Amino acid sequence: MDRDEDDFVFYGTPIEREEEIISRKKKAVAEASGNLRTLVPWKQEVRDEEGRRRFHGAFSGGFSAGYYNTVGSKEGWTPQSFVSSRKNRAEVKQQNILNFLDEDEKEELEGQSLGTSLQFDTFGFTAAELARKQAEKEQQKRPSAIPGPVPDELVLPSTDSIGVKLLLKMGWRHGRSIRDSHTNKSYDARREARKAFLAFSSSDAKKQTADPESVPGELESYIDLPASDDVQSSESTPVYVLYPKQDLHGLGFDPYKHAPEFREKKRSRLSDNKGIGYRSALSMDNNLFGFKSGKVAPGFGIGALEELDAEDEDVYASGYDFEETYVEDIDEPSRSIMEDKQKSVRKEPGVLSGFRLALNSDYQHERFDPPVVPKDFVPHHKFPGPLETGYKLGDPGPPEVPPPEDNNLKLLIDGVATLVARCGKLFEDLSREKNQSNPLFSFLVGGNGHDYYARKLWEEQQKRGDHTKQKLDVKLSPHMQKMTAESRGQILGERPLERSAKDSSSSATSADAIQLQYNLSDTFTKPALHGEMLEAAKPFKEDPAKQQRFERFLKEKYQGGLRSTESGGASHMSEAARARERMDFEAAAEAIQKGKWSKDSKLSTSQFMEYLSSGGMQFTSGGLAQAKDTQTENSITKEVHLKRKEYQWRPSPILCKRFDLIDPYMGKPPPAPRMKSKMETLIFTSDSGKDTKAEEIVIAKGVSFPVAQSDAQGLSKDVADKESEVEVEAENVERPVDLYKAIFSDDSDDEEDTSIHNEVGHPEKKGEAANTTLNRLIAGDFLESLGKELGLEVPPELSSSMNKVGNSVPPKGTATVNSVDSDILRVDNVPSSNHEILHSQEIARDGPRGNIEPVNGNSARSNSKYTETGSFGNQFDKIILEKATQEDRKAKTPSRRHRNLSSSPSSEDERSKKRSGRHRHRHSDSDSDSSSDHRDRHRSRSKGRRKGSSREKSSSSSRKHSKHHKHRSRDSPEKERSETKRDKHKRRG
Amino acid sequence: MSVADLPKTEANVLRGHEGTVLAARFNSDGNYCLSAGKDRTIRLWNPHRGIHIKTYKSHGREVRDVHVTSDNSKLCSCGGDRQIFYWDVATGKVIRKFRGHEGEVNAVKFNEYSSVVVSAGFDQSLRAWDCRSHSNEPIQIIDTFTDSVMSVCLTKTEIIGGSVDGTVRTFDMRIGREVSDDLGQPVNCISMSNDGNCILASCLDSTLRLIDRSSGELLQQYKGHTCKSYKLDCCITNTDAHVTGGSEDGFIFFWDLVDASVATKFRAHSSVVTSVSYHPKDNCMISSSVDGTIKVWKS
Repeated sequence: MDRDEDDFVFYGTPIEREEEIISRKKKAVAEASGNLRTLVPWKQEVRDEEGRRRFHGAFSGGFSAGYYNTVGSKEGWTPQSFVSSRKNRAEVKQQNILNFLDEDEKEELEGQSLGTSLQFDTFGFTAAELARKQAEKEQQKRPSAIPGPVPDELVLPSTDSIGVKLLLKMGWRHGRSIRDSHTNKSYDARREARKAFLAFSSSDAKKQTADPESVPGELESYIDLPASDDVQSSESTPVYVLYPKQDLHGLGFDPYKHAPEFREKKRSRLSDNKGIGYRSALSMDNNLFGFKSGKVAPGFGIGALEELDAEDEDVYASGYDFEETYVEDIDEPSRSIMEDKQKSVRKEPGVLSGFRLALNSDYQHERFDPPVVPKDFVPHHKFPGPLETGYKLGDPGPPEVPPPEDNNLKLLIDGVATLVARCGKLFEDLSREKNQSNPLFSFLVGGNGHDYYARKLWEEQQKRGDHTKQKLDVKLSPHMQKMTAESRGQILGERPLERSAKDSSSSATSADAIQLQYNLSDTFTKPALHGEMLEAAKPFKEDPAKQQRFERFLKEKYQGGLRSTESGGASHMSEAARARERMDFEAAAEAIQKGKWSKDSKLSTSQFMEYLSSGGMQFTSGGLAQAKDTQTENSITKEVHLKRKEYQWRPSPILCKRFDLIDPYMGKPPPAPRMKSKMETLIFTSDSGKDTKAEEIVIAKGVSFPVAQSDAQGLSKDVADKESEVEVEAENVERPVDLYKAIFSDDSDDEEDTSIHNEVGHPEKKGEAANTTLNRLIAGDFLESLGKELGLEVPPELSSSMNKVGNSVPPKGTATVNSVDSDILRVDNVPSSNHEILHSQEIARDGPRGNIEPVNGNSARSNSKYTETGSFGNQFDKIILEKATQEDRKAKTPSRRHRNLSSSPSSEDERSKKRSGRHRHRHSDSDSDSSSDHRDRHRSRSKGRRKGSSREKSSSSSRKHSKHHKHRSRDSPEKERSETKRDKHKRRG
Repeated sequence: MSVADLPKTEANVLRGHEGTVLAARFNSDGNYCLSAGKDRTIRLWNPHRGIHIKTYKSHGREVRDVHVTSDNSKLCSCGGDRQIFYWDVATGKVIRKFRGHEGEVNAVKFNEYSSVVVSAGFDQSLRAWDCRSHSNEPIQIIDTFTDSVMSVCLTKTEIIGGSVDGTVRTFDMRIGREVSDDLGQPVNCISMSNDGNCILASCLDSTLRLIDRSSGELLQQYKGHTCKSYKLDCCITNTDAHVTGGSEDGFIFFWDLVDASVATKFRAHSSVVTSVSYHPKDNCMISSSVDGTIKVWKS
């Protein structure tokens, strides 16, 4: 009845009751079975267990096919498309059966899987699993710092295994060995088992020694071990299985007992397909039954052809108790015992029967060789004292040797010997060290001519030494050379040599005290040098007072320590003179030092002396020239380091692609790299840059009270101040816009601007322009000559070429560049001159207002030029003084000076002020010069569009210039120089 | 390589350009050379036999630089008409013109795969053009220079430009960095050493400067020639033993790379030597001059 009613529900979704569903199920089943039997296949309908029609056929229109009960999308099963891009690499997905199962199927599967319940968690695995799952679930709920599944190590089972629980109930506690609770009953059995196991393992070990005969003895030792071990160890120790059983033989059975050579074969074969029967010792930690789970071999037991041994009995008696054994750490003790055993065997004079001595024993290896005494070792202590003589005075000295054939070598040896005798052994050591690679000096280290050198040295020392000392016959006792001075003295009945005796032997008298002092305090190179210098270097012989000062200077220089405050008779000197003298001293000292080292390679001391004396002459004659040389040298070396700056730069992705590179900024949001670098220049200005900036701001505000200015900039700054007072307000107003500009506009625009403005005037008033250029030329030459006098490197060619071009351009005015240098591509002036032409033409159109101001600007600029040269001249003296102060500073200061003095910033400032002033005045005309310029440019060149637009927002360029300054002061002075130079030329041109 | 091996003897004179020859370049294997001149043409030569092979005409103004791909199939050239021309070598037809520079284009180079042309322009920018797409827009504009960019060099990963603002800037695509080495003097030509570790920069103060690329250190300066107002090329010989460059007085100079001494110099042309190019393998060199000739030099 119910069934019938169900059949008549056509519309809507009937509310299904429990019993209805059940009944429908039944019906569906019945129908299915019936249908299958009665209907033709294409009329059969597939229904699910709840009786709903769920036909899977895509062919018959796909009645919600593949959606409701097959795959998770309405579109059905879409084949997986392989998509892999550079950004998203295709992952290799590991599929498992769960990917293809529905929810209910999964549930089913879950129900089918077997697992121990928590209650019967034998090994704690289930607990661990559970804990892990729990943790995963938790982690899915709340994101943690560590993404991904929780590592197993972090989630440990919270419960003990059932075995542990049982043991605990039986009274076992953690950290104790299980066997404690047992008594002697099982002890014996265990002992047996252990024996067996050890026998097994020892036979393995035996194979290592490849000495089958030694087994019994070793075994004895093994057997002794565990008994004592049992007694002493009541605490459980980590299980350590030395030789896990890997074969299928019975426990303790060793098929290779008498044929150990086969064992290795077997082993190697096993290791090839290892992994099947192999169980790691680790896995057995928890699993007491680990061994039992191993396969039981059919061939268990003893081979038919094997003999029965005494050990075999043990094996069989205890083999099955194996699971009880806690295998103790048998490795270390057994080894040591084995060694003991071997030792004891060795000690016996007669070898035991069945034993034989090893051919090579690693026992008696020479571990404690006496240190190798170097051949040239002289067994007495060397004092780092002055004029330390290698051979004592009583020494008979080395045998006489004919001098080497090479005359040069002979000379060299003579010279060095003399020097060594005079300056001490230290000198020899030093020169030996220094000339290690020099074949000429091989005699120092025992090469060619060493004997002769030794002899010569000895002779020299004898000569220099106290001649009252007794001289022994040279040929008397060659063996005596090996004796020490002390022993020899004892033999001869002499008093042992004392320090004072040695001192008396040394020749230098006055220098001694100093040298001793030096030896105490200073590094050992210096004393020799100084001593030598005291003897040899008197570069200022003509002027004893000066020489005295020089010596003091040397002392200070090399000794270090406290400087003597009084200037030693030089107090009457002016500061400048003193500084200059100090420079001389420095140079002299340097040259002496140089001479000293170069002398090592020179042939004889006499030459060295000559060199020194000539050098001394040089110093007295022209200290300043010398100083200048070093200065230029410094400037050159300074130039070696170019200014290197790094910016961020963003290559476009397509460029990277074309270069077959990976875009470094891939996936990152696109910041404007240009802006970034500009921001950097804004923010990270160097200190000097900040200073100038600050000053500029002060100037810009027209504050005319004396600012704390550097002495160098003072003069020109003041001029700039005065001139800038006029146009104050305009700049204050325009600053915010300029910040924008500072970020987005180009530096180069500014330069161009200046050039443009400069050029503009020329065609109009050629006469004046010519005058100003002439003036500027003169000023420029003066600057150049100044620079040269200061020893600066002034690139003269460049300037002259610039001058040339600059001169040639203005008179021709509107002529194109191409006509000027008709044939060739002219490099440097092309940019500016091109602009110039463009704009000069346009200016002509612009009418009268553009004409006059630029000229004003020019004249003002030339004025400033004069002031700047004036200030330059004033500074000149200072520079000279400055130069004399310090060596390294010297190289830098003038250039920096030069930068400052040339007042390029200030004069430029002026210019910018001027111009901004012009703008200001011209504001009545509702448009500024620059903006009109740029609109013109807009017209003429597409480039102008970008820059012009940014420019039109701000009508003044002064602020830009200040920014430009910043940029500049960030650079090192050199670029500064060149830039100012170029600027100058542009102005001139 | 000793001084005697330097190419000092004149092997061939290539005549054909009407007016100044602004650039002369060997192709990558050194069998051919290209020249570009004021007569708005590019010419292909066999310098070893002294034969003029082909003339490429399309430029509207003087051609300032030319470069050929490593497979010799394509050319790129640039010049006063502010365009970069991308040529097919065999047919002599222009495949593409890249417009976008706002001023004359001073130098062009292909990259390693000949897929990108990088040009250096008077408009203070370096621009990279894609040869593979049909777009005429540059794929990269580098405009950090503050003055006309005179020369460009490419490595596998870097773009190096030398500019009149005195800087040699290296743009590293791998790390996205720009390294600017300020030489303090206008740079009108840069050239890489064959080992790629150094940059030789010709400055307008009549000095060639050798810079270590990794450290930015100035390794050496080579003086003696005159280079004050022209774009004069310089290069390092194929063995990296010598540095060579032209002079405005018509001389060609060879310097020892290490000690900067003038190894040899000789009068090559009657007028300014605008360009030199060294054979990639042999001791052979070509030079071009304002006098309209290209000369082939062999040892």
